[in-house]
Amino acid sequence: MSLALSTLIYEWRRYLAAVIALAVAGLLVLAMTGMFMGMALSFTATVDKSPAQIMILPPQAEGLFGDSGQPRRMIPMVYEHPGVAEVQPMIMNWAMWSNFPKDGQPAKGDGVRVVVVDPVKGAVTLPSDFSDATIEALKEPFAVILDRTSLGKLGVQVGDKAKMNGRTVTVAGVVDGYPNMFNTQVFTSYQTAKLIYVADDGPRVGPLLVKLKDPTRAKQVAAELNVLGAGQFKAWTREELSKSSQMGMMKEGGIAIMIGFMALVGVFIGIVITWQTLQGAILANIKEFASLRALGVSMGELRLIIIELSFWVGVAGLILTVILVSGVAMLAKVGGVPMDFPLFLDIPVAIMLMVIAILSGLFSLGILKKSQPADLLR
Amino acid sequence: MTGKLALNAKGLSKGYKIGKLKQQVLKGVDFTAYHGQVTMVMGPSGSGKSTLIAALSGLMKPDEGEVMALGENLWKKKRGKIDRFRLDHCGFIFQGFNLFPSLNATQQVEQVLKYQKVKKSEAHRRAVEVLDAVGLKHRLKQKPAELSGGEKQRVAIARALSKMPSLIFADEPTSALDSVSGQVVIKLLHQAAKERGAAVVVVTHDPRLEAYADRVIHMEDGKILSDTMISGPPVIV
Ligand SMILES: Nc1ncnc2c1ncn2[C@@H]1O[C@H](COP(=O)(O)OP(=O)(O)O)[C@@H](O)[C@H]1O
Ligand SMILES: [Mg+2]
Repeated sequence: MSLALSTLIYEWRRYLAAVIALAVAGLLVLAMTGMFMGMALSFTATVDKSPAQIMILPPQAEGLFGDSGQPRRMIPMVYEHPGVAEVQPMIMNWAMWSNFPKDGQPAKGDGVRVVVVDPVKGAVTLPSDFSDATIEALKEPFAVILDRTSLGKLGVQVGDKAKMNGRTVTVAGVVDGYPNMFNTQVFTSYQTAKLIYVADDGPRVGPLLVKLKDPTRAKQVAAELNVLGAGQFKAWTREELSKSSQMGMMKEGGIAIMIGFMALVGVFIGIVITWQTLQGAILANIKEFASLRALGVSMGELRLIIIELSFWVGVAGLILTVILVSGVAMLAKVGGVPMDFPLFLDIPVAIMLMVIAILSGLFSLGILKKSQPADLLR
Repeated sequence: MTGKLALNAKGLSKGYKIGKLKQQVLKGVDFTAYHGQVTMVMGPSGSGKSTLIAALSGLMKPDEGEVMALGENLWKKKRGKIDRFRLDHCGFIFQGFNLFPSLNATQQVEQVLKYQKVKKSEAHRRAVEVLDAVGLKHRLKQKPAELSGGEKQRVAIARALSKMPSLIFADEPTSALDSVSGQVVIKLLHQAAKERGAAVVVVTHDPRLEAYADRVIHMEDGKILSDTMISGPPVIV
């Protein structure tokens, strides 16, 4: 084992502040991005789990969120492509929700987003992970399906009745994997949607869900549809739309700026604390370093020891970050908060932590000037 | 090698500026040390003994004078070359032991050998051998916290000796030790001179160590007062 590594292990208490600072910086950034990514993921859950291979949006739309209204006459246009099996508009509308509080239970009232699905196996609007029982339950008039994590927020249990837009509905079941930070999603059939006044038969429709005869040709058909539409709409494959919607989420509302700012604060705090801690720790061993200098070990070699030390501090910080983030992810899971830690964020954060550690090491090199072997002679 | 001149310094002067005052610590000191001899430098505190050692060993450049060490003009060298010279030829023992808390006795020695580009297995063999020679065979795996002061100083000596230096500088090596440990340490330094032919320069103000000296130099106020050969003049070869 090298001197740097054994020093870090033996005197870990001395380096703890630096390791914690790095882990907190990592946690700060990852928790923030994880939350937003989780949010974005739950926003796009309806896209990701749709059996539609292609989605049609107005030409200017960059994702699912924003203005996605378009003329209904696009539907027959899309059908013109021979590869298309089914086209249905995605219906998402707002409704007012209130529960019937039982004894001592607080009254809950909230706006919810109604997602209209066809309770028929294989229907293009029906998320592919809905169980047969859920599909059956949806067939009843006034039946609604919630995400499990929304039960508390909406103040109901499965089987309870509640009010939507003034009409009484029944919570017929729950699904998993559709949590939403801001607006709770409620699934209903088209029939129920009509009954609670959220189905819209006007001349404009939302995004179109397109099921293909041959799902493997999605990319090609999307390109052909775009030619066919001649700029009146834009066809996306499901994966493209999901990604673009997530990116759109990130860009919107200054989330990227916020995360960038957090990252900057994290980096700054990380560097300052790690640097100061490293300096203190080096200073504590300065006489040992000086004795190496006396024995002829060059300054460059001592610098290498410090850089190696800061590298190991970075590794320790990374390990602690993983532990902390796993803890947070577990808590989030228990609490029903959607979080997601995609690799394309984890890797830059890991690199960032290592850069902080090494930079702090570089900043600490100056302290080595104090390792004057002549000072050992007194 | 016994009897050959290892160090030959002429006209060493060094002063420290304290504020506007300049305090002259070495005042034109001439100094020699021979291979195979323990040269003891004694004198009251503040007389410039440590400063002299620093100048002789390449740790601190004197204001004036030159040091011929192993036939090379030490202070004419570039800094990197002086480091290299110390790495190749010099061993140091200080009053404090300056051992890394995280390394055990063997690793302390190996650490230094690593920088001499000694192979791992060879470094280990030499470390064990030299620790055995200083009587620490049963302490190979102990870290400084588990060693007594005398044992720590012996590790420091082993660290210095493992490099097989021709020049050994010891600055008050026994003042932090009890008299028994002090005896052990000075015996080891004496042995290094006799068996390895190293030129050993020991700074001390412990008169009991004089018994092990081949030559005693008294310093006071930056000057050499007396220079006594005890074991007779060295045989010049
Ligand atoms: N780095 C320094 N700066 C200023 N004065 C110093 C320094 N090192 C030593 N001195 C002074 O030089 C004098 C001689 O010091 P030193 O060589 O350590 O003597 P000794 O080892 O004989 O006790 C002392 O008065 C000490 O205070
Ligand atoms: Mg001194």
